[in-house]
Amino acid sequence: MTEDFDRILDECIDRINRGDNAADCLSDYPAYSEKLRPLLQSMHDVQKTYAFAPSADAKRAARQKLHATLGKQRRMTPVLSLFRAIPRSAVWATTAVLVLAIVGALVIEPVLNPPTLVPSPDGNFAFLISDEPNDIGDFESLNVTISRVVLQAAASLKRLEFTPETRTVDLTQLQGEQAQEIWRGDVPAGQYSQIYIYVSEVVGKLESTGQSVDVKLPGGKLHLSMPFEVTTDIITNFTFDITVVATGNNGKYVLKPQIGESGARQEQKSLE
Amino acid sequence: MNTGNRKDIPTINEYESRLADLYEEYYDKVARYVYVHIGNKEEAEDIAGEVFLKALKSLESYREQGVPMQGWLFRIAHNLTVDYLRKMDKRSRVPIDSIVLPGNDNPADTAEKNIEFERVTEAMKQLTTEQTEVINLRFFGGLTSKEVGGILNKSDGAVREMQRAAIEKLRGIMGVERR
Repeated sequence: MTEDFDRILDECIDRINRGDNAADCLSDYPAYSEKLRPLLQSMHDVQKTYAFAPSADAKRAARQKLHATLGKQRRMTPVLSLFRAIPRSAVWATTAVLVLAIVGALVIEPVLNPPTLVPSPDGNFAFLISDEPNDIGDFESLNVTISRVVLQAAASLKRLEFTPETRTVDLTQLQGEQAQEIWRGDVPAGQYSQIYIYVSEVVGKLESTGQSVDVKLPGGKLHLSMPFEVTTDIITNFTFDITVVATGNNGKYVLKPQIGESGARQEQKSLE
Repeated sequence: MNTGNRKDIPTINEYESRLADLYEEYYDKVARYVYVHIGNKEEAEDIAGEVFLKALKSLESYREQGVPMQGWLFRIAHNLTVDYLRKMDKRSRVPIDSIVLPGNDNPADTAEKNIEFERVTEAMKQLTTEQTEVINLRFFGGLTSKEVGGILNKSDGAVREMQRAAIEKLRGIMGVERR
């Protein structure tokens, strides 16, 4: 009995940590709600008392330090081993300074400030959004507004980003084979391994009631870890599939990336 | 002779990328975890930044441990917090319960917040060290009971039991004080 209660309390705490509210968990376990309620209230009191959001400046500074150290660490290892094998001299020290300067310019800078790609109708890369139909049938409309898309290169920390030309997509219109191109432009040729979609707003309206409904997106971003290649002479169409699923019987939904339906397809550039 | 990496073991570059991703998700949580222990927001932000730098420099040792990376981050956060508190003990440390919370509100609201802060802090002090750690990692670190168990070398069942006992204790103390 106590073990059951411990598990239920634990589940409720997990759900609250993920963004659910306590009332939903209490309604899922009515037999325990009287015992659960005061404990969840205490959790709320403690969290509220110590709540603080670190300043954006502190977070940015720490991020820059981390990425700078990361870039330095990745490049220093091979450089250092090379220099250990040869006599130290002023000439080599000068070379080291030059190497680090080049590394700084080519590797660290793109990590700290990923270059923003510009759209072009003749570009070698098209980015599309689609929707695998899980619970999308519950919606009259589900508008997702995308603020930016980040591509991460496979072999380095290099990141590139672009702002979609079409920023808001209605997932109810993009079910199954349907997909909508939201950006096209030139992307440097190479191997890429990760794609992040940063979402600024999700507005869902239910088919059954016509009312707005809470659709969560933990962290405000969708992430796919999927290797793909971009070349200069072939157009790469990358489709990022987003799906919406109900989180239980509490009338809430969550957006998720659908890796099985996402991926790159390549087509020849048309000859003019 | 096979000198390549085994497929199921991520490379150091993959660990580095994962750490960079975890930064976005866990920086705030680590900062809050530290704040609960030290009671100073600016220092907590600095220590949170240090946690990720230290993790980056120690990735080789992490590779040998086989525990979830987020749990490992909180282990580092715990060690840095203990170091910080030791250093502060050598100076004259301001006790957490004497901190006056800054507020933009009117004086009555600020006073009420300070009373609430003292009430919760007093209750937290009554917990055992392990109970405090469980509450801190679950409420502020957002870790699961299994991940907390990995850090404290306990089973997840034992963590759930400690968690319930700790919250009941907090409830008892805070509830009594409120009356």
